[in-house]
Amino acid sequence: MTWPGSFRRQETTHVRLLTVLGLTVLTLVVTFFLPPVADSQLAGGAAITIVILGLSWLIGWSGQISLGNSGFMAVGAYAAGIWAHHHTASPLIFTFLLATVVGGISGLIVAIPSTRLRGPYLAGMTLAFAAAITPLAQNFTSVTGGEGGLFFNTLTTPAWFLHFFSGANASINANAQWTADLAVVIAGFMFFLMANLFHSRSGRAMRLVRDNDVAAELMGINLSRTRTLAFVVAAAFAGLGGSLFAIINATVRPESFPLTLSITLLTLMVLGGIGTLSGAVIGGIIYSFSANLVSHVNSLTGVNPTSNLGANMQGIIFGVLLILTMLFAPRGIAGLIQRIRSFIYSRS
Amino acid sequence: MSSFLTSSFMHNIFGGLAQGVIFSLVALSLVIIWQSTHVLNFAQGAMAMFATYVGLTEIGRGVGYWWCVLISVVVGMVLGGATERVLIRPLYGKPEINPIVVMVGFLAVLEAVATSIWTSTARTIAAPFSQIYFQSHGKLVLLSPFVIFQIVLAIGIMLLVAALFRFTKLGLQLRASALAPEVARLLGVRVNRMLTIGWMLSAGVGAIAAVILASGSFGLFPTDMDGVFVAGFIAAAVGGLESPIGAIAGGLLIGLAEQFILAYWSPNVAPLGGVIILVVALMIRPQGIFTKSVGRRV
Repeated sequence: MTWPGSFRRQETTHVRLLTVLGLTVLTLVVTFFLPPVADSQLAGGAAITIVILGLSWLIGWSGQISLGNSGFMAVGAYAAGIWAHHHTASPLIFTFLLATVVGGISGLIVAIPSTRLRGPYLAGMTLAFAAAITPLAQNFTSVTGGEGGLFFNTLTTPAWFLHFFSGANASINANAQWTADLAVVIAGFMFFLMANLFHSRSGRAMRLVRDNDVAAELMGINLSRTRTLAFVVAAAFAGLGGSLFAIINATVRPESFPLTLSITLLTLMVLGGIGTLSGAVIGGIIYSFSANLVSHVNSLTGVNPTSNLGANMQGIIFGVLLILTMLFAPRGIAGLIQRIRSFIYSRS
Repeated sequence: MSSFLTSSFMHNIFGGLAQGVIFSLVALSLVIIWQSTHVLNFAQGAMAMFATYVGLTEIGRGVGYWWCVLISVVVGMVLGGATERVLIRPLYGKPEINPIVVMVGFLAVLEAVATSIWTSTARTIAAPFSQIYFQSHGKLVLLSPFVIFQIVLAIGIMLLVAALFRFTKLGLQLRASALAPEVARLLGVRVNRMLTIGWMLSAGVGAIAAVILASGSFGLFPTDMDGVFVAGFIAAAVGGLESPIGAIAGGLLIGLAEQFILAYWSPNVAPLGGVIILVVALMIRPQGIFTKSVGRRV
């Protein structure tokens, strides 16, 4: 497999800004027509997109394999949760900033021993971190709420937004759509940041470190600093994604961040396309509607969704998709689209 | 002496050793695969769990304990060999992320399938050894016939594996294919077959760990091996992933450390203890405590 993004026509920041703005506005319009359930699902998907952006940057761009991003998500979610639980009046943007910074710091702590490691060692080390972080939340009950978690309700739909809605379920519709819109706007903003980072000096340095560390060092790139930066950025994105996740659900609990979440993140990233921006969005969309996908497969195969098999169908489908993608289309959906596009262009 | 055996310190030593041998077995199984194919098998725990569940089902049909152990090990070996053939072989020479991702996917599939067949409740196999602790002058010694069996079985398996690698022709071929595949191939060793056998051996050793876990009083549940795998990986990494002795020593170290943290602080902090040991060990000797120093470029 050749790594993605080795060459690409240079886009300007303006083009990227316009693309992201256009896509975000389009999604906002779409949320207006979606039922409230789909809006909530989309909000979760937007939070996951942010996490996958960071993971894609870390694995695809800097070549460091992490299975611990659910741990960074948990750190961000708890930072936001503990803050929001005690300071209900604090502006939301501050909560998100705090979660991003705390997430980044946790990334720094993990990065210091990890950047000396390679491949499987690093994957195992980050997995061990993710496995250790949720029990820790269960331990310090007075701060984290222990097993039951923390509850907070900081996400209030502003009055002007409610005016757009009328009818029987006006407030439910308005709340769901406000949540989705907020999440989509944040995801769009983070997408723009990451798009710039991908094409920045650091992004190019990162790719060189990934492909040839000797050459990178000869070019005067500080290897361990570059690798650490990759971790900090990925963890900050995961922290923000995790906090958004917590704010959307108005709760944070240890069981929200199991090890399987790390596997889910990896699956979504690989399905979308490692190291691609569009892949992260594709992964987020798949996450949003994975429940629909699973129930569709259940009804297609005639499996009772309340049976044991039906309840575990998601794990089976995701696992099989992960294996098949890696074996037969390692560049994911984004890679497939790119191949189809270049096929069409080479014909014309 | 008798009061020494019943002290809380010795309680923790025994508890830590009993837990540690399980970690050692998993670590050993990871090292066998790493040596032969340079893949860190993230599905190792899940494969062992799955094999043991198949054995568990057989015991429900009136099969004896030892048959159940044998069935689990054989199923584990078949599963290991098949995994190498089907999932890992197409990935040799690919970036190291590919086998990691594939095995993580396999882990998800195995756990989901096991939960859907056998539900998520823990199951036990009744071992033919009492789990009642010995007593000394009316006080408990935290050793039972079962714990002794557990430790003896684990050590026996380790010695068996060591003997296989050191004293048999198959062991020599396995080592040759791991060390210098090209040379081994020229000398007539069927290297591909050796890789499959390495995976089979490893999965068999892993299955023993899951069997011991299932025989204990808490039993085995489908995601049980996740934590054991993490501890086993830490043990193997502390030892350097290359050294079987290092893996075994690492397993005992992690088992004891987690037991002492659990006893003196909190069971929830114990996993973090393992991570800290790993970090410290890697900072002192990044290539592992028990391996000869091998330089890596840059």
